[in-house]
Amino acid sequence: MAALYANNYLIVAIFLFLGILLPVGALTFGRLLRPHNPTTVKRETYESGLEPFGSSWVQFNVKYYIFAIMFVIFDVETIFLYPWAVAYDQLGLFALVEMLIFIALLVIGLIYAWKKKVLEWN
Amino acid sequence: MNGDSKWGVLGQYDWSIMAPELTILVFATLLSIIDLLLPKKTDRRIIGVLGLIGVIISLIFTLSNTGTQPASILADMYRLDSFAVAFKAIFLTGVAFAFLMSLGTLDKKDVHYQGEFYYLLLTALLGAMFMASSADLITLFIGLELLSLSSFILVGIRKKHIQSNESAFKYVVIGSISAAVTLYGMSFIYGLTGTTNLYLIAERLGNVYQGGFSYIVYLAFFLMFVGLSFKISAVPNQTWAPDVYQGAPTPVTAFLSVVSKAAGFAIILRIFIIMLSNVIDIDPTTGEMKSLLVDNLGLYIGIVAAASMIIGNTMALRQVNMKRMMAYSGIAQAGYLLVPFATFTVLLFEQTLFYLIAYLFANMGIFAIMALVSKDQGHDEIRGFAGLFQRAPLLAISMTIFLLSLAGIPVTAGFFGKFYIFLSSVARQNYWLAGIMMATSVVSYVYYFGVMKQMFMRTNPNGVNKIKVPPCIGIALVVAVVVTLFAGIFPSQVIDYLHNNFLFENMMQVAEQVVMK
Repeated sequence: MAALYANNYLIVAIFLFLGILLPVGALTFGRLLRPHNPTTVKRETYESGLEPFGSSWVQFNVKYYIFAIMFVIFDVETIFLYPWAVAYDQLGLFALVEMLIFIALLVIGLIYAWKKKVLEWN
Repeated sequence: MNGDSKWGVLGQYDWSIMAPELTILVFATLLSIIDLLLPKKTDRRIIGVLGLIGVIISLIFTLSNTGTQPASILADMYRLDSFAVAFKAIFLTGVAFAFLMSLGTLDKKDVHYQGEFYYLLLTALLGAMFMASSADLITLFIGLELLSLSSFILVGIRKKHIQSNESAFKYVVIGSISAAVTLYGMSFIYGLTGTTNLYLIAERLGNVYQGGFSYIVYLAFFLMFVGLSFKISAVPNQTWAPDVYQGAPTPVTAFLSVVSKAAGFAIILRIFIIMLSNVIDIDPTTGEMKSLLVDNLGLYIGIVAAASMIIGNTMALRQVNMKRMMAYSGIAQAGYLLVPFATFTVLLFEQTLFYLIAYLFANMGIFAIMALVSKDQGHDEIRGFAGLFQRAPLLAISMTIFLLSLAGIPVTAGFFGKFYIFLSSVARQNYWLAGIMMATSVVSYVYYFGVMKQMFMRTNPNGVNKIKVPPCIGIALVVAVVVTLFAGIFPSQVIDYLHNNFLFENMMQVAEQVVMK
């Protein structure tokens, strides 16, 4: 059994080794095979065929993060609701009460965000 | 039964044993709604008062469970035994002190989000209570995270204060790393035993250890111990303490130094003592049988304890800031508190609890006085205590009692706490640890007496105006002084009370899964 446990780590080690070897090998091979002939146009950043403009160091509005977090919370809520809804008949009344408590806590979170003006964009 | 089909198996559990936690949960939720609905101008201290009431109700529920048989619901995810009751009583008392302190000294200009401040203290408390009252790795970890996440926000709640922000950031980074390390250790245990229930782990880990996995068990122990040492601020995870203590508002510092640390000890004792109880190490040459936890790991825990005592006490000598000094003092105290776990006698729980009680009241008292003095002086430096005896003699005398208790001078609770720990260390012939404990205690006199020197022998350059003591801080100080002196003068009564009302052996008993009443 000890050997089995260690074998599992052998697979992890092989994957780690391959994961490092592949990009390093591919890039080195590419460097050996390709001709080296840089021009200014070639060195430009590739941006889906558009001419690149401005700096990439742009500030993002911090509100995006709060929206993202709000989204994740309700996304996870749905994930929890699905299995509960599927197994509703077996789980019984208690699970319903538990789910209601869970949703109530999330609603309180929503009220909090609303009152703290997270949902307003200005 | 009639109700079975309708409510399912969950309806059969005796949910009333969870009353202390449910009280805190309900209060935290209600307070967050009240805070949103109250007009902006209203004094938020009403939320603090309500929170304090919640803590006291929960404390009454907890104490009413004293001496009951162990009970568990949700397959040991929640477990009530003497160990849990004792630790929860300590957490609740500590948070009650933090509330009293905040009600007396919290400044609206300093901490803008006062409503959040109070109910986040409650959620942190809830996490700590789950850390003491569960026997399942998942619930224990969730409790740990609830405590950590709430304290991260509490540390950084002085939003406009640059030091507060810095300390919150450091706390988040070190806290997350140590949580990851803990979780990594837990994953090994799960991988070896296939369960997260501590009693099932205990059942299976003995065979696993014999079956050639001894090194992985060691590895898991070290990972979990190092990760959890963050919560008790012991070496090697002590570096955050001074910066975080300095940046956090004083009541939060007090909370971290007492409740968070006690919760760390609760989870460490709970996990390791149950998990490793059946692991026996057999010497291949002599065939000698040894308990892994008691005989083999004691040395490593002892090294951590010794390093904490030495680093904490020597670094504290150089501090000029009171909060940083208390942080290093706290590191040293964590070292003393690890000594009973390293020496592992039958009196382990009584010793740890007695010392925690002494530490709780002394530390809370010091932080309460410090909150008053730094509010009066406008800074946290030790020199702010200059001439306190002329300005407020009662404050200076109670401060002296608390400092003596931390230093371990007779007639205070701290002396007997240290004495019991010292005795067990000598009884187990662990002389080096006892020696380090003795020597570093003597070193600690220097910095504790340094504060006393300021209070009694210096005069304050800012004049000798009196310090006003708000009634809630007065109450806290009276309670702390009375308990510190009582436990110092009649220590045997406290020990007897602990011994008779808290049967710690029942921590090892597997409780009935379904409790019906």
